[in-house]
Amino acid sequence: MKVINAVLCPGCGSLCDDNEVYVEDNKIVKVRTDCAISTSKFLNFNKDRNTTPLIRVDGELKPTTLEAAIERVARILVEAEYPLIYGWSLTSCEAQKKGVELAEEVGGVIDNTTTVCHGPSILGVQDFGEPTCSLGEVRARADLIIYWGCNPSSAHTRHMKRYSSLSKGRFRLPEQRKVVVVDVRKTPTARNANLFIQVKPNQDYELMAALKMMLQNEEIEEQEVAGVPVEQIEELAELMRSCEFGVLFFGLGLTMSEGKERNIDGAITLVRELNRWTKFAIMPMRGHYNVTGANKVFTWQTGYPYAVDFSRGYPRYEPGDTTAVDVLSRGYNDATLVVASDPVANLPKDAVKHLCSKPLAVIDPHISLTAFMADVVIPCAFVGIEEGGTAYRMDGVGMILKKVVEPPEGILPDTQILDLILKRVRELKGGR
Amino acid sequence: MFSAYTATRACGVKVIMVELKLKMKGQSVAPIEGEMLTPDNLAKKSFNEILNLETWRGNRLVKLSEVFTVEGESTSNPSDLHLIIEGDLRKVRHIGAHMSAGKITINGPVGTFVGFEMSGGTIVVNGDADAFLGMGMSGGMIEVNGNAGDAVGSGYWGTRCGMRGGLIVIKGNAGAELGCWMKDGTIKVGGNADVFAGVRMQGGTIFVAGNVGAKLGAAMTNGKIVVLGNVPSILPSFNIDEIRANTKVDGEKVQGPFYVFYGDITEGGNGKLFISVPKNAHLKYREAYLL
Repeated sequence: MKVINAVLCPGCGSLCDDNEVYVEDNKIVKVRTDCAISTSKFLNFNKDRNTTPLIRVDGELKPTTLEAAIERVARILVEAEYPLIYGWSLTSCEAQKKGVELAEEVGGVIDNTTTVCHGPSILGVQDFGEPTCSLGEVRARADLIIYWGCNPSSAHTRHMKRYSSLSKGRFRLPEQRKVVVVDVRKTPTARNANLFIQVKPNQDYELMAALKMMLQNEEIEEQEVAGVPVEQIEELAELMRSCEFGVLFFGLGLTMSEGKERNIDGAITLVRELNRWTKFAIMPMRGHYNVTGANKVFTWQTGYPYAVDFSRGYPRYEPGDTTAVDVLSRGYNDATLVVASDPVANLPKDAVKHLCSKPLAVIDPHISLTAFMADVVIPCAFVGIEEGGTAYRMDGVGMILKKVVEPPEGILPDTQILDLILKRVRELKGGR
Repeated sequence: MFSAYTATRACGVKVIMVELKLKMKGQSVAPIEGEMLTPDNLAKKSFNEILNLETWRGNRLVKLSEVFTVEGESTSNPSDLHLIIEGDLRKVRHIGAHMSAGKITINGPVGTFVGFEMSGGTIVVNGDADAFLGMGMSGGMIEVNGNAGDAVGSGYWGTRCGMRGGLIVIKGNAGAELGCWMKDGTIKVGGNADVFAGVRMQGGTIFVAGNVGAKLGAAMTNGKIVVLGNVPSILPSFNIDEIRANTKVDGEKVQGPFYVFYGDITEGGNGKLFISVPKNAHLKYREAYLL
């Protein structure tokens, strides 16, 4: 049995790098970690696995060769007037880079899953900047942790133990830290918090405005804001003002409720206000393990973090019009390539309806819901387990994914598949 | 072929406007760039030159004659050109972008970014307009005889500067973030406006005859918002100033009475909200703070 240590977990945006994986006969038999998501990922990644390229013939997905599948995908993309290339959050930066190259070559729109999670965070940051820090700094120094609209106990299970409230930092022990949770319901994270503030749904912005008023010593003409009594808001404002190093982690409770990027505007300006009193930072709780990487790669390659439109040959950025959900629900695109994502399971109904009505190609290790609806499915190696690469943690720290087992025979990593598609696309376009 | 009608310029001189009619051929799947559809661009061009103009349909460069049937004629002066565009234009974006003179009439529903960064002239939409209407405009007028989408009169992402002048009139409803980052000019909405109307507003006037969503005037630093209908709530960062019998929008008197709130205090703002008193009995408790 081989033991591989310091393996990065391709589970969530926390990207824990202290997992030990036990491999026997090219099979993972045991994982040493205290995270249920990670264990499940490493032990069950082979479930619902697809190992043959599939192509739709007479309404049914039938096995085919890799060459035939690549040919079909290349033709779909070359013939399309406005192809959408979507996904990218569950793969390596190397594959994302190839994706941008492909989008430019076929003159399409490339978007990552940021569009349905922290896209509003990016819009907020573009307006106001991001007073942030690394997770290491949080672990070493933070004495006030605020989780706003997120539930790490369920979604980022080791976040608290490794980086925040329960971690033993260089200058802070767990008992020296205070935890505040602001959410619409009492989540498992809220049950262990020092202070839980139950805000009415869609009224986070009001609560943040009230907090800013208190930090500026202004009087509020209300007894209660967003369902929270003014005394409790005062208590929270005092807690924030008097801490030595505070950090505000926020999740989809802020980005996807009423107001979207305006809620992030509110949160960033609240942190800006707090920095007049003490040291305070803000950080989005990114979900997919390499969605931060997708933003980094897109920005480094095109200048824009997501929703990049190459239809005119150069990158353009119009979120609200070139974001995947808007492209699909306005019915702009006439073909779609999905890589490392499952939009059929996640996007709004109208968008999915349009997605399935046009030629759809999928590159995914599993038979996902999107793969079921696709015209071509190309199986790929599972990045992070069967293929190495680079990934970015939620705080923007780049890390190296390890290859721990070999992929099934004949299965290529998505970088190689994208390379083959690119080559064929260039050949086909050369004829024009 | 040739048709013309008489229009009166602001200075009172009567001019004959030359009409150029474009009718959408069929329906496209991919979005079509309509930014060349402005009087500035089409004036001084012969009929054939107009037919051979190139635009983007998705990633393909196509001739204007492939997308539209063209009738009428052009003129040498953009101010005298009246462009009439017809059909289902929901996938045509950027119509009237950067226009500075003349008139565009759009008969039918239209896509995003109508009047993008326009500085003069008139656009009339006889149908619904999609999001980002009048984004970054600095002058001229847009009239929508239907509903408009989100972020009317806003600014390009990250510029922190929305509409800088001109007038937008919407007969129907407007979407969220109406007049976001707006710096000057006027927006009038005949129906309702969604949440975050006047967010980050820095000047100018917004008038809504119907109801508005929550978070009205969030983080505004200057400007004026007048609402004749219902407002679900006022942000805690706005304080009541006074009760006024009436107010003015673009020189016209609007009958009140109005609660006047000032804010957004957290941004050191001096914006004013004029909220109808009779339609907002639930705000009566704020009167206690008037001394």
